[in-house]
Amino acid sequence: MSTVSHIFRTPPGGVRRGERMVFWLFRGATYFVLLCGATVFLNIVIKGSHTVFKAEAPFINTTFLTQAPESLYIFEWEGKKREMGDREFRAFKEQNPAAAKVETESYVYSAGGIWPCIVGTVLLVVGSMTIALALGVSAAIYLNEYARDGAFIRFVRLAILNLAGVPSIVFGLFGFGMFVIYFGWNVSLLAGWFTLAFMVLPVVITASEESLKSVPKGFREGSLALGATKWQTIRKNVLPYALPGILTSSILGIARVAGETAPIMFTAAYVVRDKLPWDVEKFGDFFFQGVMALPYHIYVVSSKIPQNDYTERVQYGTAFVFLLLVALIATASIVLRSRLRNRYKW
Amino acid sequence: MVIATPEIMETRRAAPASASPPSAGKDTIVDIDHVDFFYGATQALNDITLAIEAKKVTAFIGPSGCGKSTLLRCLNRMNDLIEGTRVARGTIKIHGVDIYEPDVDVIELRKRVGMVFQKSNPFPKSIYENITYGLRLQGRSDKAKLDEVVEKSLRGAALWDEVKDRLHASGLGLSGGQQQRLCIARAIAVEPQIILMDEPCSALDPVATAKVEELIQELRSRFTIIIVTHNMQQAARCSDRTAFFYLGRLIEYADTRNIFTNPANPQTEAYVSGRFG
Amino acid sequence: MIETSSPPVAPVFAVKKRRLRFLGLTVDDTIRAFFGGNALVAVIVLALITVFLFREGFGFFAQNRTNLEVYRRAGLEYVDFIRRQTDDHTALTRYLSDVRLRQLKLLTEQEKKSLDEANAALAPFDAFAEQFSATVDPLRALMAELTEQATALKTKFAVTEDRKVERHQLLAEGKTAEATAVKIDAVDFATELLPLRAALPAYKETSREFSRKLVTLLDATPVLPAAELLPRMERLKQLTRDYLAGFPAIEQAMEAWDYKEPVPAWQTFTSFLFGRQWLTASFWQDWYGILPLLIGSLLVSLVALAFAVPLGVGAAIYVNQIASVREQKLIKPCIEFISAFPSVVLGFFGIAVLGQALRAASQISWLSWVPGFPYSERLNILTAGCLLAVIAVPTIFTLAEDALNNVPRAFKEASYALGASRLQTILRIIVPASLSGIISAVLLGLGRVVGETMVVLLCAGNRIAIPDFTQGLSVVTEPVHTMTGIIAQEMGEVVRGSIHYRALFVVGLVLFVLSLLINFLAQKIVRRYRISIG
Ligand SMILES: Nc1ncnc2c1ncn2[C@@H]1O[C@H](COP(=O)(O)OP(=O)(O)OP(=O)(O)O)[C@@H](O)[C@H]1O
Ligand SMILES: [Mg+2]
Repeated sequence: MSTVSHIFRTPPGGVRRGERMVFWLFRGATYFVLLCGATVFLNIVIKGSHTVFKAEAPFINTTFLTQAPESLYIFEWEGKKREMGDREFRAFKEQNPAAAKVETESYVYSAGGIWPCIVGTVLLVVGSMTIALALGVSAAIYLNEYARDGAFIRFVRLAILNLAGVPSIVFGLFGFGMFVIYFGWNVSLLAGWFTLAFMVLPVVITASEESLKSVPKGFREGSLALGATKWQTIRKNVLPYALPGILTSSILGIARVAGETAPIMFTAAYVVRDKLPWDVEKFGDFFFQGVMALPYHIYVVSSKIPQNDYTERVQYGTAFVFLLLVALIATASIVLRSRLRNRYKW
Repeated sequence: MVIATPEIMETRRAAPASASPPSAGKDTIVDIDHVDFFYGATQALNDITLAIEAKKVTAFIGPSGCGKSTLLRCLNRMNDLIEGTRVARGTIKIHGVDIYEPDVDVIELRKRVGMVFQKSNPFPKSIYENITYGLRLQGRSDKAKLDEVVEKSLRGAALWDEVKDRLHASGLGLSGGQQQRLCIARAIAVEPQIILMDEPCSALDPVATAKVEELIQELRSRFTIIIVTHNMQQAARCSDRTAFFYLGRLIEYADTRNIFTNPANPQTEAYVSGRFG
Repeated sequence: MIETSSPPVAPVFAVKKRRLRFLGLTVDDTIRAFFGGNALVAVIVLALITVFLFREGFGFFAQNRTNLEVYRRAGLEYVDFIRRQTDDHTALTRYLSDVRLRQLKLLTEQEKKSLDEANAALAPFDAFAEQFSATVDPLRALMAELTEQATALKTKFAVTEDRKVERHQLLAEGKTAEATAVKIDAVDFATELLPLRAALPAYKETSREFSRKLVTLLDATPVLPAAELLPRMERLKQLTRDYLAGFPAIEQAMEAWDYKEPVPAWQTFTSFLFGRQWLTASFWQDWYGILPLLIGSLLVSLVALAFAVPLGVGAAIYVNQIASVREQKLIKPCIEFISAFPSVVLGFFGIAVLGQALRAASQISWLSWVPGFPYSERLNILTAGCLLAVIAVPTIFTLAEDALNNVPRAFKEASYALGASRLQTILRIIVPASLSGIISAVLLGLGRVVGETMVVLLCAGNRIAIPDFTQGLSVVTEPVHTMTGIIAQEMGEVVRGSIHYRALFVVGLVLFVLSLLINFLAQKIVRRYRISIG
């Protein structure tokens, strides 16, 4: 069968195939990126779940999630290999005095759990996000509602842009120099809160401004035309509609705050601390205590103790819990944001 | 289109003088006197002089971009919200008070000079809250009083029968025409003396438009209404006096009947009879 | 103005109201001022960062100058002339042992000799090498003696300085009696240095003897069992001759050396900015040169970008121009999700998995063509760079995608209307139109990567040295230390106010300035781009 050869016919081979190959190259790059992400994620999830979950009820390793880190002791006892945490081992030695002389291998932080780290991270995130939201939303209100374009505002925006690019370790140095030393707060929650808050400030301001911008101008004009003052208009007719957007976009800021290690290394985090944060004598002491934090704990267990089967459990377990926490926050932000986009259309 | 300037100058002087002497009339409520207005460097209003009478409906007409909205927004100082705007010359007096005096409080001014916008803008709150919004701002929270005002305003805006069963449903759930009437109800709830309407019907279908026009007729006994419209029939139907603007200048201002049947200025005639540009 | 002559009825139009004022501000003004103040926070924080980095770091330069001055006054610099001489000799012996290693390999692998046989064949060579390395011993002994003297002098000076501080403190606390009790012996460098300088003739003697021995040795080089390595032996001879030729210069320098010569102020800056050594807590002399750290940071970042730019930009083009809507909706959140990976987790992944995996890959024989493969250091530039790429890709992707999105539709339609294919439109119209946006995306990605701490701290290998560039690209398989890494690692251990502490703040300052610079460039490029579009 011979088809009519017309000038609009697809040219044979060559060009199109080349084009398709280039497209496949781009597609390959894209999926390679996703593959890398998935590899990291799955590696940690799969290996970490051995620590966090277990086969029998309640299926979750409660020890790991609710106890403080301890040293792990490994020794031979009556021909069998035993592994014990610090406390358990001490009790064991009291029961069997002979065990005191047994030769042991020990690894710090490799037994027990990571409860204090979880607590510390949550405290750090809550405190710093409160500060960052208060400062950031106010700043955004000024920039979007009050400010008129001018040299000053351009300067402020420039500062925000630049602040966003400052490395986190520099924030750490700054927090150390200012809060820890100059203000004399020492390594404390308060110092960590402010350091982290300043670090996410640009994120929060940008997110808040965007949400404020998406509230239609009519809401403001309508309110002002009824004789509302500017502040009444903002409080009653702008903020309530911008707030969901502000909060969801700021969740991404939370993920950043929770994930950063460098800023808290010298401002808020301790390698170990026996007491839990609420174990304080005076209420005021609460703010001036350092805490353990998940990201710092990961750093410590992955750099300060050797890599082997015994230490791997706590390393992967901590990384898993932390990654899951941050991933949950990030997913929440992404999902909520797309929901919000669909819901509010005025 | 090029206009011969002398002609206009003449008209401007002639027209208002014949209609009502500036700031003289006993029932003049708004007195605009030789006003120039600028958006930054661009001049939007040029030497406007106009006296608006109380308890009457005044219509502003003119081709797009001639400054109708600008003048309207000058009257409750909504233009203050736009950066770089200024009244460069002249005065605007309401009840004899120059509203651009530094000691005038814009908030108080806007309570007394209400506004309805071209695009209806009910707040995403319930109907009830939309209407009580202005009152609550003034610190009134007496439930009985608020209920009374809601009913009165909704009846005033001819909306009561349609929404009385769903006062606590969202204002956004109403139809376009109902939304616009809700905005009118919201405006009259704070008992202003003057209501400014900027093309209130431009987004409505004929039936809804008719309803709003009816409403305007009812409201004229209680409020001074200034309405911007592109619809000649509407201006003819529901206004008492009409001002025709062109390129930032007031061309003619007279009784509506005169404007539509016997305009003094050829441009006005061209415009109202649709032979424009 | 209203004439309020008849007050009984309230004025019909009472728009003049006096609002509550405090310090001339109404409530609304106050609220506005409050928000304005909050907007200023960003500016204030930026200013505070600058202030505190300077405040803690600035003293470094004065302290470093003292540090350099003591180095000269106490004669450490003098001894270092000899130290350099012996170090250079060590380099030569290292070259010799490298030659031996290659010979052994040749003998065992190509000539299939057993290890013993090979060693036996190398016996004459070993004898030569031994003699060669022994020649330096007298010089080294002399140096050890002088080192001791110089160190003692330095310690003495340090003690005096400490005493001075102590007395100063006591005086400040008002304890005059105790203050006078603190004994301070002034260190007289001139006399204390005499023995050091008196050793010059002895040095000359030893050095010449050393030179003579080397010359005789060079004439008696052994015959190599493997002829292929003859050129290397020749090279050694040449190197040694060059080395010997430098001796008179050393002697002259030592004669001309003057402990009183002042250390110019600029040297404290240049020794920091261009110093090739970062050596702290050393028994001999501390050096604070940022070069190895800076180079480390840049190398790691470059490797990261080498991966991240093609991947990030490629993915952005794919998602924005080629992918279906469903694919877009899937890929974008996924990449956003990757951007939320905490860097410390990535660092851990590098230590636990990637380091091993890459090293194993480098030892696969059919991959040996890759420069630097095989290698043995698990943690190195490559490992850190790969992980940093994971951090940089989402940043670059998001910003580049935005830039592509901003290209007006009309461009694309116009191109199609002229009969261009999709690929032609993308490559000739869309990408060039958004190029400045893409470049600034890459720059911001670079900023992100240069400032990243945990990944490099955990995975870059943490060896403080300028890597060896002579082998070309295989430099990426060497371990380095970085600016961010050094701060994170050493900040916790230094004494507050010490020179080391201040040096770390100065490194922070350099990092800060670098990030501002990158940001500035990115913004500048973006601004240019806006104008060109519209
Ligand atoms: N915010 C603004 N900034 C600068 N110029 C403006 C602004 N608003 C209006 N103008 C200009 O002022 C002039 C008058 O505008 P105005 O909105 O008053 O016209 P109008 O008569 O209401 O037109 P329409 O019938 O289309 O609503 C126009 O030339 C317009 O371009
Ligand atoms: Mg208008």
